[in-house]
Amino acid sequence: MGAPTGAPATAGGSGGPAAQLTRGVPFFSQAASFAEIWPSVARHVNDVADRGKYSHGRKVGELEKALASYTGARFAIGMNSGTDALVLLLRAVGLRPGEEVVVPAFSFVATATSVSLARGRPAFADIDPVSYSLDPDSAAAALTDRTRAVMPVHLFHQMADMAALGELASRRDLVMVEDSAEAIGMRWDGRHAGLLGTGGVLSFFPTKTLGALGDAGMVLTDDPEVAERAGVLRHHGRLGKTIDHIAGISNLSGVSGTNSKMDDIQAAVLMAKLTRLDRDIARRAELAGAYGKRLRDVPGVLRVPDVVPRAAETNPVWYVYVVEVERRDELVEHLAGHGIGTETYYPSPLHLQPCFADLGYRPGQFPAAEAACTRTVALPLYPDLADVEVDVVCDAIRAFYAGRPGRSA
Amino acid sequence: MTLPFFPPDLFEADREALLKIVHEVAVSPDQKFILGTRTAELERALREETGAVDVIACSSGTGGLNLSVAALGIGPGDEVIVPAFCCQPVASSVANAGGTPVFADVDPRTMVLDPADTERRITGRTKAIMPAHVFSIMADMPAFLDIGRRYGLPVIEDAAVAQGAVLGDTAAGRWGDLGVFSFFQVKAFGTAGEGGVVLTDEKDLARRVRMLRNHGQDGVHRFRHHVVGQNSRFDEVLAAFQLHRLPTFAERLERRACIADYYTERFAPLADRGVLAPPPGRDGRCYYVYSLLVERREDLRAYLTERSIGTHVYYPVPLPRQPAFAAWAAPEGCADDDWPNAQQVSNRNLAIPIWPHLTDAQVEYVADAVCDFFD
Repeated sequence: MGAPTGAPATAGGSGGPAAQLTRGVPFFSQAASFAEIWPSVARHVNDVADRGKYSHGRKVGELEKALASYTGARFAIGMNSGTDALVLLLRAVGLRPGEEVVVPAFSFVATATSVSLARGRPAFADIDPVSYSLDPDSAAAALTDRTRAVMPVHLFHQMADMAALGELASRRDLVMVEDSAEAIGMRWDGRHAGLLGTGGVLSFFPTKTLGALGDAGMVLTDDPEVAERAGVLRHHGRLGKTIDHIAGISNLSGVSGTNSKMDDIQAAVLMAKLTRLDRDIARRAELAGAYGKRLRDVPGVLRVPDVVPRAAETNPVWYVYVVEVERRDELVEHLAGHGIGTETYYPSPLHLQPCFADLGYRPGQFPAAEAACTRTVALPLYPDLADVEVDVVCDAIRAFYAGRPGRSA
Repeated sequence: MTLPFFPPDLFEADREALLKIVHEVAVSPDQKFILGTRTAELERALREETGAVDVIACSSGTGGLNLSVAALGIGPGDEVIVPAFCCQPVASSVANAGGTPVFADVDPRTMVLDPADTERRITGRTKAIMPAHVFSIMADMPAFLDIGRRYGLPVIEDAAVAQGAVLGDTAAGRWGDLGVFSFFQVKAFGTAGEGGVVLTDEKDLARRVRMLRNHGQDGVHRFRHHVVGQNSRFDEVLAAFQLHRLPTFAERLERRACIADYYTERFAPLADRGVLAPPPGRDGRCYYVYSLLVERREDLRAYLTERSIGTHVYYPVPLPRQPAFAAWAAPEGCADDDWPNAQQVSNRNLAIPIWPHLTDAQVEYVADAVCDFFD
């Protein structure tokens, strides 16, 4: 360790040798763990080649079974992406054109565009400033007589307040769907995220806690009718057997669907990665703990992420480690100068995005979401990250606020 | 001899290359898996190959049609004329955007959209026409361009099945304002998963398609979403695999065309026995699927099945007759025989194997079996 190449090391400590790393710290990498699981990936990819069906095939079916078992969902339906999974879930629950779905103003854009793509209308509400998820009071205030559903997002590392939101949904007779794209492994009172209402989704975008090598996603539901509809919609609305059955491409269409078939190569990668998911989740928690310890008292760091106590037992899964800081954009630049990757999740709230200008929202309507957008930044967090790299990141942050910008790249 | 219609060994010769690519992309220092340098390189290679000003890789051929419809701003109240005999995405891409697919009939021999019937269905609400190439035959693109010019309508060219075909001097995919190829595995340039591209010569359309495929972002300002976009991206594993397969694509197309030449010659004498082979030739042709029109289709199918020859009926029911599209089938009380040709070719189309890795002996075996049936 301490070599100029910055080979991963596990020793802790702050400053000293860590500061000598010259490689920098990428925002994300899974190269080292992928190399470890390669024999298993190769075996699964060979299965796919043996079978000879490269999308919506047998390996996708295997992955659906494996994730149904992991999450406890009765049905897991593979899709081309998390975004598609949201769109087709909304269609599968029967959202009609013009109906409104309440979503938080602070999230990835697909939370809201999925509603538009399903021909509904997103109705924005503010977030709770600590959990970054849909604020139940603000959600209640967003309801109109056109509201059909409420869609909380489990953002970054913990679930939304599903007790209060579930109560709101049942009191107002709304469909509850969850944008659980980031929430694999999170459970609420023993139930996996996505299964608290009518259905949810998983995204397997490469940086996700369970990440593929391309886009892939899934719908989770316990409802057989929703599962049936979502399963049909992803394959052009075709009825009858289609998965692992290529001749199904000429089946009759019962509904105007689309092509959101998952690639079997992605399913193969995910099957291999799934075996180490729990270990990866534990490693992420370790790293998050290390960041918290090192950053909590750094001047300029306004907030390190907290786990909010809830009415039911629920567990964090550290997908993204977001801190709130002063002079955020300057810090991002400073870190980039030291080869440290960050992501600004998210620089602009959804209600003020140009794509939703026609909905007529104004600045100031959702202060917590708007404030978060000026202060949040995500730091590198992935199982391949070495302890010493956490030190490097934290040292660089401390140096920035101490007015010691240090070496620039 | 067993000849499945959908062969499981399409990429057998490329298996090691595929494994190597998966590994390479996964451990590559850039850790970029979607819309990265390999995708850009494939887009560049296909621009060169087709001459298109821009080629934009996306999640599938259907994804390409969805992006094209969105790029033209088609929505509620807008009509798009699509073939009644085709794959579902020509209709669903319009319907899912809130638009109205208007079904026009097809030519009874070539099975592609009929220009005259298309023109007859143009109304003040028509916003685009969407001819599709079917099986081995390109639609009559000069006629559709002429209609488009006369009525001021953009043409979306569904070239999902026709990559590599050239009509006159112009490649399939380049006739329409927007063209779409599909990389679904059994397509001529199929891949080991899902993918496709949109082709266009119009810079503004290209810019819009690029934004639409990645959540409405412009590629410069991350997380700034200019328009309601989709997630219709292409991944680096498949981009590398397509780059690996591109140099041999022409060879495979030529092999398919040679098999087709042979079939067509063998089947010519069956014309008066109720079997119509596709017209011979190479102009405007891509032998993705070799489909016959057969009066006694089910009998021939059973006969070939007994001889272990796989066949496939691609479109057994015209689109407006499928429950999915019934709502758009007869908005103004059209007569039941409104798409007589689509209905007839739905009853008669029968595709036989034409994979490039079929041996000459296998091709002869198939041709013999078809001819024997009529002896």
